[in-house]
Amino acid sequence: MHIPDGFIAPQVYLPAYAVAAGAWWLAARGLRETLDHEQIPRLAVLTALAYALGLVMVPLPGGTSGHALGVALLALVFGPRLAFLAYSLVLVLQSLLFGAGGITALPVNALAVGLAGALVASGVFRLLRSHDETLAVVAATWISIAVSAVLVALVLGVQPAIAHKPDGTPLFFPFGPEITLPALVLPHLLIGAGEAMLTLLVWRFARSRKWTPA
Amino acid sequence: MDPGLKPRALLGAYLAAVLAISFVHEPPWLAAGLAAALLLSGRRRVALMRRALLSVLAFNATVSVGYALVAGWQGTFSADYLLLVNLRVLLLVFLGFWFVSRVDLAAAVSFSPALSFVVTVAVGQIHALKRVARDFRLAFASRNPERPAIADRARLAVAQGQHLLEKSVHAAGEVEMAMRSRGCFDD
Repeated sequence: MHIPDGFIAPQVYLPAYAVAAGAWWLAARGLRETLDHEQIPRLAVLTALAYALGLVMVPLPGGTSGHALGVALLALVFGPRLAFLAYSLVLVLQSLLFGAGGITALPVNALAVGLAGALVASGVFRLLRSHDETLAVVAATWISIAVSAVLVALVLGVQPAIAHKPDGTPLFFPFGPEITLPALVLPHLLIGAGEAMLTLLVWRFARSRKWTPA
Repeated sequence: MDPGLKPRALLGAYLAAVLAISFVHEPPWLAAGLAAALLLSGRRRVALMRRALLSVLAFNATVSVGYALVAGWQGTFSADYLLLVNLRVLLLVFLGFWFVSRVDLAAAVSFSPALSFVVTVAVGQIHALKRVARDFRLAFASRNPERPAIADRARLAVAQGQHLLEKSVHAAGEVEMAMRSRGCFDD
């Protein structure tokens, strides 16, 4: 889902960096206070896990498949703070080592997918887990993917309005929200359903090994 | 001299170049920047350019074709825009690959020992987990001469997810013990 380099205007990515920097600082601050023997290696390994979960193909009806995001699973098992930091580091490594994403798109991707996705997943799960844990995991994953897709689509969709030539020709991403919202959100509603099932089954596995929070 | 100085300086130069490029909206200037980067990148220029082209191909082709269709239909098509956006993306991605080919990322972030350590361990673990995911995929393909059913592919995804999670949790413990045995936590 995440945005590649070169399609986000500096009027968007520079303020996004300011917001993301604050979020990274807040997320890392809590870690530094408890920076014990387990936290650094754990963050490093979770970063690798966040990357690897993106390699898992979620099967979709019709013979197609989509990549898992893994943010909801990370948030449910390890908490939104570690999920956000790990996913942000993955975005950095993906853009610099593997040519996916990009430095100019990094803060938007980190905030829309890493932070919003992790917070929504954790929030929905906490809200619903007392009623039905299975429903809570499925809803948390599906809603977090839908919210991230809406945010990414909106950020892409405002680019032509924010950065264009006097004659209206776009300078960065060319399509408005009337195209980006259905193009991004509708497929992700389907991908989210597949990932919700995957997250539920892996969540149960993690819980059976007592890796999940009580 | 601080051995991390040169990687940090290159990191700073790379980030400054990325920022500057995103303010350039004239295709000739971006083309000149791309030509200059190609000239300066030495013997690896062809491999770097090939890698950059392959990594941008799918997304840029989709956006470019989509733009050509929609803008053509609306009567607002601009070849200049297509040139601008494709040159900008290609130049940014090329610079990223060139930077990484010249610089050890862990050394570039050595201003923070914790960040440097996280990058080193994460990159190593990523390669290990990538191999695991590839092994799963190849083994699954070898067991299924015909296209497997959705239920089988779902079981593969779950097995992969569980295994990656299990391997990661254990790797975190192993790395912690390795760090402890090397005195990393001694004051």
